[in-house]
Amino acid sequence: MGNKMKRKGFLGMIILVAFGFFFFLLLGVVEDPAAQTKPAEKVKPVAAKPKPKVAQKLIVASGTDALTMDTHFGLDAPTFTILDHMVESLLELTPKGEIVPRLAEKWEVSSDATEFTLKLRKGIKFHDDTPFNAEAVKVNFDRLLDPKVAIRYRFLVAPISTVSVVDDYTLKIKTKAPFAALLSNLTHQATAIQSPTSLKASWDKAVAKPIGTGPFIFKEWVPGNKFVMARNDQYWGKKALLEEVTWRVIPDDASRVVALETGEVHVAVRIPPFDIPRLKANPKLTVLDAASVRTIYLGFNCLKEPFNDKRVRQAINYAVNKEAIVKHVLGGVGRVSDAAISPGIFGYTPIKTYEYNIEKAKALLAEAGFPKGFETTLHPAVGRYYMDASVCTAVAADLLKVGIKAEIKMMEWGTYLPSILREKDQVEHKIYMLGWGCVTGDADYGLYTLFHSGEWPKKGMNASFFKNEKLDQILDAARSTANPEERKKLYKEALTIIHDEAPWLFLHSEVQMVGVQKNVKGIIVHPTERVIAKEAWIE
Amino acid sequence: MSSQYIIRRLLIMIPVLFGVSLIIFTIVRVLPGDPAVVLAGPHATKDVVEQVRIQLGLDKHPVTQYVIFLKNIFRGDLGTSSRTGLPVTQEIMARFPNTLLLALASILVATVLGVLTGIIAGVKQNSKFDYLSMLVALFGISMPVFWLGLMLMLLFSIQLGWFPAVGADSFKHLVLPAITLGANSTAIIARMTRSSMLEVIRLDYIRTARAKGLTEKLVIWRHALKNALIPVVTVIGLQTGTLLGGAVLTEIVFAWPGIGRLLVESILSRDYPVIQGVVLLVATLFIFINLIVDIIYSFLDPRIRYH
Repeated sequence: MGNKMKRKGFLGMIILVAFGFFFFLLLGVVEDPAAQTKPAEKVKPVAAKPKPKVAQKLIVASGTDALTMDTHFGLDAPTFTILDHMVESLLELTPKGEIVPRLAEKWEVSSDATEFTLKLRKGIKFHDDTPFNAEAVKVNFDRLLDPKVAIRYRFLVAPISTVSVVDDYTLKIKTKAPFAALLSNLTHQATAIQSPTSLKASWDKAVAKPIGTGPFIFKEWVPGNKFVMARNDQYWGKKALLEEVTWRVIPDDASRVVALETGEVHVAVRIPPFDIPRLKANPKLTVLDAASVRTIYLGFNCLKEPFNDKRVRQAINYAVNKEAIVKHVLGGVGRVSDAAISPGIFGYTPIKTYEYNIEKAKALLAEAGFPKGFETTLHPAVGRYYMDASVCTAVAADLLKVGIKAEIKMMEWGTYLPSILREKDQVEHKIYMLGWGCVTGDADYGLYTLFHSGEWPKKGMNASFFKNEKLDQILDAARSTANPEERKKLYKEALTIIHDEAPWLFLHSEVQMVGVQKNVKGIIVHPTERVIAKEAWIE
Repeated sequence: MSSQYIIRRLLIMIPVLFGVSLIIFTIVRVLPGDPAVVLAGPHATKDVVEQVRIQLGLDKHPVTQYVIFLKNIFRGDLGTSSRTGLPVTQEIMARFPNTLLLALASILVATVLGVLTGIIAGVKQNSKFDYLSMLVALFGISMPVFWLGLMLMLLFSIQLGWFPAVGADSFKHLVLPAITLGANSTAIIARMTRSSMLEVIRLDYIRTARAKGLTEKLVIWRHALKNALIPVVTVIGLQTGTLLGGAVLTEIVFAWPGIGRLLVESILSRDYPVIQGVVLLVATLFIFINLIVDIIYSFLDPRIRYH
């Protein structure tokens, strides 16, 4: 009897402890009822569509989760990839790099590139039934330009001085200074148009769910796990064939490939190159490849010796075997750069690749006063770009052949980026690695902030502290004219100067490899590192 | 065992958690790297970075930040993730049930398999079973989970197609990660049980029990096992605590959305509120599990009394 009592007491204790433990957790759960993801508004059944035989529910495996539901607060391609299906931008950048209408039907630009008139599409409603019109777009710009709201991509719209509503469907944008790249910037997902109703309720904080005008409607987000969206049957354009798209987070490359092979997912992004032959041999699968607009480079700190000497910078460009890196380190998944920006970007012209030539490199080094080379440090990005640290190791091995001993100093990204983007007196780096995705498809985005001398950190991204007055003038001039031919010419000149001055070791642009089940059709892999499933279907 | 004892232990938690919060608060801020720069991203301009810093409250004095942090904890508010803008409690609750499920499943696998193997190996010392099981256990301890996980996927997902490879949607999804994660603990528990068993069955009271004419089964299961289990319970408790803290590698390989991955992701992006929240949760769990282990001790060995 006594023993039984004791046992009962013991059980009671366990239960008590368990309760205490869950109480701690519950404290937080009740706090925010709106936070849990909610199902979307009921989608009405489709009336007159030919019924496909297979369930039209697509599963896409991505490497990382979306970081926010608010496209204005977006930061990275995985977030924009998902949000693009629900929240649309005014203009669209096609995979070929052309700007085409989306929510804006027509546009006019004044010849000095300071006044932009946009004609909006009529008869569109946001997912919450708010009408889409010039007023709604203005609310979006007001928020994007509000200094109290921390918009990561503010610089896309920063040159704008006023946005005014001309009539219900016409909008006039004026810029402080000529800014020809504005149209390209308005294709960027960070400037996409969200329902003003939801924005007003969450002005300086991220909205809890994306409400746009797109072909899909938000259904559910389980952070770190999956994101589900359902077809918008009221969509203004061509309605999607898929009923539902699920974006599943599978961080490990190998596991993502396995999930594709077992058929658990239909699409898997970022296939490691060494798995490609196997997947291609699989009759059920296919691998799509698409060039990315991301250019990978090693930047020199042009303020520090010996990199203040152009000959040293050129010598390093000659000393590194770029082809071998692409072939052996990247498994062929890359393209050796022949300019500071990649093909498919407005303003790109192939300039030249520094050929692999050790003798030339040695001669240039000797001319610069370093016949035996020198010692330096190299800061790779780690785990950010494809095979980044290995690429840097290969570079260091090549440099050793011309007598340059580059000590590799690894830092993880959270430490690395802030350390690279310090002001000129505080930086330690001599050679640093970054990759720049020129995602607006316009050379201005890929050159201005990286090479203009007014863009030294902390203001901009010119972490090479490069300064060339002629180049500054050209980059400014290319902003001030709306004439595309004139701009192209200017950018060619700019790229030639950059090539010759070599503030970078020009490496390669990435190629995206996406694995797809053969019965899935219509998947688009966009050069801005996005997978688009809007027009896809399953056979 | 008195209820007073348990209450006292629960009260001790308060200063301990207070200390944990102070330590983790300091550590994340001592880490190199500027969260405002990381969160604003490479494209952000200087004023946007400053705006982010103000929004995160990082412009305030660290002491003020800590006081705000403590105040909010008492309100059950762990803050807002600086990475996603979601409440930290929501971020944790989206993943913690998964971690709990995976940890309990693997500790169940590990306890059942480990204790059984350990007992048999201990009782039949130097038998073929003993050698074989200890050899397997050696593998279990040495195998990295990402390798084991991928091998299991290769066999059971690709070749046989029995279990799905990734995700956390159903019971079937639990099998492979639980085995992978449990393998290491199984091995540790098996070896612990075996050596503890070997020690106990040489003791006098076991000889007495045998001399009384009890059957071997009764001797092992009733007399030897209870004593042999004391160190094993400690190990199981520790393992449970560790597993509840999240199993990063297993979670990554099987795309299992647990708090281990959340913690690593938040460290990489310098998401202070989430790091603090997860560490506090894990510390709380550890303290509770230790308490439970102590309670089980006194149940197994009536001589142990806490005052």
